[in-house]
Amino acid sequence: MSEEYKVKVEHLTKYFGDLHVLDDVSFNIKKGEFLCVVGPTGCGKTTFLNLLTRIYMPTRGELYIDGEPADPKRHNLSVVFQEPSAMPWLTVEKNLRFGMEIKKLPKEEIDRRVENMIKLLGLEEFRDRYPHQLSVSTAQRIIIGRAFAMQPDLLLMDEPYGQMDIKLRFYLEDEVIRLWKEMGTTVVFITHNIEEAVYLAERVLILTNKPAKIREEVKVDLPRPRKVSDPEFIKIRNHVTEQIRWW
Amino acid sequence: MEKIMSKINTSNLSQAEIRERRLEILYKILPVISVLLLAGLWLLASRDFNAAVGSGFPTPTAVWDRTIRLFTRPVKKMNLIMHALVSLRRIGIALAFDWTFGIMFGILIGWFPKPRAFFSPLFDAFRAVPPLAWIPLITLWFGIGEFPKILIVIFGSLASIVVNVKAGLSAVDSMYLNVGTVFNATPTQTLLKIAIPSSLDAIFAGVRTSTSAAWMVVLAAEMLGADSGVGFLISRGMDSIDMPLVLTGMIAIGIVGAILAIVTQFIERLICPWTRKSK
Amino acid sequence: MSMDKKKQVILSLKNISQSFVVKDEVKPAVENVSLDVYDNEFLVVLGPGHCGKTVLMNVIAGIEKPIEGQIFLKGEEIHGNDRRIGMVFQSLNLMPWRTVMGNVEFGLELAGMEKKKRRAIAQKYIDLVRLTGFEHSYPHELSGGMKQRVGIARAYTNNPEILIMDEPFGALDAQTRYAMEEEVLRIWKEEKRTVIFVTNNIEEAVFLADRVILLSNCPAKVKQVYDLSPLGRPRDLMDPEFLRFRTEISDNTDLAL
Repeated sequence: MSEEYKVKVEHLTKYFGDLHVLDDVSFNIKKGEFLCVVGPTGCGKTTFLNLLTRIYMPTRGELYIDGEPADPKRHNLSVVFQEPSAMPWLTVEKNLRFGMEIKKLPKEEIDRRVENMIKLLGLEEFRDRYPHQLSVSTAQRIIIGRAFAMQPDLLLMDEPYGQMDIKLRFYLEDEVIRLWKEMGTTVVFITHNIEEAVYLAERVLILTNKPAKIREEVKVDLPRPRKVSDPEFIKIRNHVTEQIRWW
Repeated sequence: MEKIMSKINTSNLSQAEIRERRLEILYKILPVISVLLLAGLWLLASRDFNAAVGSGFPTPTAVWDRTIRLFTRPVKKMNLIMHALVSLRRIGIALAFDWTFGIMFGILIGWFPKPRAFFSPLFDAFRAVPPLAWIPLITLWFGIGEFPKILIVIFGSLASIVVNVKAGLSAVDSMYLNVGTVFNATPTQTLLKIAIPSSLDAIFAGVRTSTSAAWMVVLAAEMLGADSGVGFLISRGMDSIDMPLVLTGMIAIGIVGAILAIVTQFIERLICPWTRKSK
Repeated sequence: MSMDKKKQVILSLKNISQSFVVKDEVKPAVENVSLDVYDNEFLVVLGPGHCGKTVLMNVIAGIEKPIEGQIFLKGEEIHGNDRRIGMVFQSLNLMPWRTVMGNVEFGLELAGMEKKKRRAIAQKYIDLVRLTGFEHSYPHELSGGMKQRVGIARAYTNNPEILIMDEPFGALDAQTRYAMEEEVLRIWKEEKRTVIFVTNNIEEAVFLADRVILLSNCPAKVKQVYDLSPLGRPRDLMDPEFLRFRTEISDNTDLAL
């Protein structure tokens, strides 16, 4: 059993003019791993995400997928942003198909994946509705479904549940874990919410303030579903909080 | 390209970023190229046209010479700058009236429902008349002196300011009105301290559009009967088949129009800094 | 900590019902809500989703008139807006054309207080929320947390007896939220008022509240009232008792998908 890394990040550094945002960030991700990235407010997490998605180009360093430099033409990257990005002119079903149609996957494959996703998300009765007819949380779930259905090499999520209430948040977090387990996707989940990071992650990457470096990697070995009142959970959450606490 | 690149400190940049920088420089150069191309085309066209048909299409040099002559041998005792100032003076007076009356009237029909209902059909009809259509009527009534010209500009640009002010005052964000309610503001206070300040960006949009409308209208009015102003220069050129003069006038009009737009935008940014940033 | 003092009811809602209009349909937002608010307590109104809570607060603050029901302030019925009730709005509603000082002193300016006096009062509250030095800054120059503090200073400056805070931290990230929660408690301890704090965040509610009133999903009804005084202060987010309350309330909360 080879310890192959799906994603390798080496010496990622970013300057905006003289502003040093990211400093020599290196880490590896195994195939199918769920990694969470947390850091203090304003530490450059969004820049970090944008570098991984190639929206920005790094000043130094490289991102490798399956051993080769990341290339949007060869590799499949999916991103879920903080703001709901469902296409308002497409129905739920068409939204789910969207990414795959762009990548020109065969029709039967797209049909199969979309049906599977609709079932997993429980959106049967909504398939012909438009995003503006649904709640914000449902629209966000569609985006996440669409991202997973692409079966990307790397799925990035930037605080997708930011403004939602806690009960809804836990429901959605359970759902994302369900999708992850079902599809085996490699996931990087970026958040400010420490409890959320510990709830979701197999490993937590803690960033420092600008210029951001990796302060620590914390393994979270707890069985699922996790309980926030579990003493082990609390210990890990406490530890991560101490590393980040600025308030 | 290399010379330009070497001037930029590339020590901190990766290959990808260098490519981005190159693109940025290209975007700055392209507009300059287009202007140079236009000037070149003008030179070519005027030369060929004159060769084929004889005089008629002035070359750039001919226009430049004519411009200089406007200073050495003024038309009607005024050089180009003085003519431009005359035109500007006319719109200055007209706009002063427009803004004073227009802002007050715009607030009246934007904020108060009864005057809005009363004046709407009248104002909408007034709005529908294109500014230039006022010229025959006013000329018939008042002749071609200074006063009727200013009157034409007043009528021509009034609609712009009123429409914008009305839009601003009738759409005050209920967010701010709620604050007033909680603090027990009187209706007068609500109008003066909340509605009007929150509409400053709309009011300035009105200032901008009425200024550019006024500039267009004054030139038309001058072309149809004046003895000063940039519009007059153009009609003078037409009458004496002095094409370089016409072109000089047109270029001057374009430049002054651009300066007016830049100045009003600058003032707006000074007075309403939050409109850019808050997005 | 024993409850020696008999708590006085300062505000009382009786059978409040209100509806709202969405896409030409009239929907009930609040249905027959009755509750009491005690003097100087930190009361949290907790509810899922985005329906009902803000409407209820608008009714209390006098921005909206309810279809049914009455509100009693210190025993007398009030209609519409009352100066004794102040509000920190969800989307802040800071006036972008005024400086921080201009915003904070706004209420007093409307009331006709002379400049020197009202500036002094406004300054006191700007200092209270720790924004000293930013009096002449404009809202667009401030961060989210700072803008919230201006909103709080503005509400305090009018010297209300009851302060409504309508989901003030909703737009902040989780960490800034923690910072602001501690800040708001500090401000409340220093300048005690009755606070009605609205949120959809259960952890926030348990951290801040003396009592929690749990509302159902749309249309909002009172589901249950929780007394959190056994938790004492200051509270620890990861304390087992804290988590127990949190789980109990969470189990009782509706899921607003």
